[in-house]
Amino acid sequence: METLNLLLEGFAIALTPFNIFMAFVGTFIGTVVGMLPGIGPVNGVVVLIPLTYALGLPPESSLIMFAGIYYGSQYGNSISAILLNVPGTSSAVMTALEGNAMTRKGRAGPALAMSAIASFFGGTVSVVALMLFAPALAKWAIHFGPAEYFALMVFAFSTLSSLSGKNLIKGLIATLVGLMLATVGLDPVTAVDRYTFGQLKLLDGLDFVVVVIGFFAINEILRYAGEFKEDEGVIAKVGRVMITVKEFWFSLWTMIRGAVIGFFVGVLPGAGGTIASFVAYTTEQRLVDREGTFGQGDIRGVAAPESANNASANGAMIPLLTLGVPGSETTAVMLGALLGMNITPGPLFMAKNPDIFWSLVASMYVGNIFLLILNLPLVGVFVKILKVPGWFLMPAVVAVSFVAVYSVNNSPFDILLMAGFGLLGYMMYKTGFPLASVILGLVLGPLMENNLRRAMSLSDGDWTYLFSSPIAIGLWVAAAASLFLPVVIKRLSVVPSPKVEPA
Amino acid sequence: MTKNLTDRATGVFLLLFAIWYGYQTTRFKVTFMVDPVGPKAFPVILAMLMAALSLYLIFKPDPSPIWPTSDTWLRIGLITLTFIAYAYLLVPIGFVLATTLEMTALALIFQGPLLRTVVGSLLFSLMLYGLFAVVLELSLPTGLIFRGLWG
Repeated sequence: METLNLLLEGFAIALTPFNIFMAFVGTFIGTVVGMLPGIGPVNGVVVLIPLTYALGLPPESSLIMFAGIYYGSQYGNSISAILLNVPGTSSAVMTALEGNAMTRKGRAGPALAMSAIASFFGGTVSVVALMLFAPALAKWAIHFGPAEYFALMVFAFSTLSSLSGKNLIKGLIATLVGLMLATVGLDPVTAVDRYTFGQLKLLDGLDFVVVVIGFFAINEILRYAGEFKEDEGVIAKVGRVMITVKEFWFSLWTMIRGAVIGFFVGVLPGAGGTIASFVAYTTEQRLVDREGTFGQGDIRGVAAPESANNASANGAMIPLLTLGVPGSETTAVMLGALLGMNITPGPLFMAKNPDIFWSLVASMYVGNIFLLILNLPLVGVFVKILKVPGWFLMPAVVAVSFVAVYSVNNSPFDILLMAGFGLLGYMMYKTGFPLASVILGLVLGPLMENNLRRAMSLSDGDWTYLFSSPIAIGLWVAAAASLFLPVVIKRLSVVPSPKVEPA
Repeated sequence: MTKNLTDRATGVFLLLFAIWYGYQTTRFKVTFMVDPVGPKAFPVILAMLMAALSLYLIFKPDPSPIWPTSDTWLRIGLITLTFIAYAYLLVPIGFVLATTLEMTALALIFQGPLLRTVVGSLLFSLMLYGLFAVVLELSLPTGLIFRGLWG
């Protein structure tokens, strides 16, 4: 009953007109950034961070908006996947496979409707799970000391590195790059300046907003320079966006399994929506695809990944909020934003700021209803945005990025820095270093060093202290084991043979 | 040898970078120690790990990626130049004008039509300025050259 009371208090905050508006803004932006290929939720969140600071928004309102962008993007990414066969974010790859097959059979409307309904299903089921699991995990994690935290971060890094790229070593190197970037600036303990080379602007360290916008938005423009085509893709006719009751019942168990798989995969650091949707799709293919219709426009092939990737977005909020250790680039950026507002997510956060957590949970119910409306009757509006040609869209993204970067410090120097990180991000992307790992390293770096040094202070410089508790040892073992995850996943999931030709 | 040159070169670069990064810690001016390990320990650990991993890259490189063609590099160079120009022009000529120029330049690099681009970019820049600087009261430069006009 305690949960119910807390949830009701959460609704009392989430249902104020301003927070309803924030949930709407978040989910709307989420749908747009999710839908547009090349721009993802991380761009949406990071561009708004300086704005939330400048406007002095309360942390719960900012978090409601950021989370809305995150789970909203998992709705939007299927629109371009279904209509253009171009996944809006990588977690819609499976949706593109199946949904675009439906589009070519003239069933774009039902595909879009199924995707929205499955997203809603995965989204709401996983909010319930979030509500039940997060407080329990936080209660357990309250016993974490600096040694456990240090090991937990190592675990997050190793999992992300082994899951986010093709090459584990490159993932680890990328993490180190992020951690090294995080050491630039004044050391918070002794106030010694490190790696600033006399530049006053670097004393406060590199602003992660500038780095992230360079890495994601600017890198994307540079990639577009090599990929753009003069003829834009032809968008299929949508038709009536509805599914029949029969189709709903037909896909119900698929959505349920997708939501469960997605939620638990989402909790794992580094796994995220892409792996969640992939696992859900291949599971369904094994369980229900008796006639071999998957890959040829089977509506369950849309339901499974869409339910799963939405559930994973909510699952990913768990490690962020209960442990303060995010497992994906978007949640890492949210952590950075919260730290900037002097809110430290983690087990104490759940105890000290229950209002923020519960209003966020309550806002997710509201946000999912918005998303259902945006993605069913109003999907036509977004299809129009999808028609904006790349030669205008990309420069517009740059313009918005400039506003965000400039307003961090009101300094044109940051624009140069952003351009530099854009080039670096492009080179790293080309050579196969996962940028998500750099971001996680950059955001977690100061926390990691801080926990290491607190651990050393507690033990008077005895390094074995890091391995001295059962929880810490368990996390170190898990970190080591996660390095073998790619092999395990490859064994578990048979790659579905795509029966479609790229459009 | 050349088919995985990229990773080997990256590995050598990272190794040198790790050595340099580690060496820099000797130049930290630590006057007093508050904690047992101090500000050097963490960077030194990072440098050692980076050096070890860069050796792996040198000895077990991946095949090189397909690098862009020379006209793509030209476009990337031009785009970067527009960013640098923007950083220097932003305060003197103001957000609206600088952003219109930037968007137009980028659209031309992406072979968009000139007239529609200029009009669209101007409208979009005005919209951004209106939304962020006027409605949300964020500080965006109005431009030193316009200072005389508004007094």
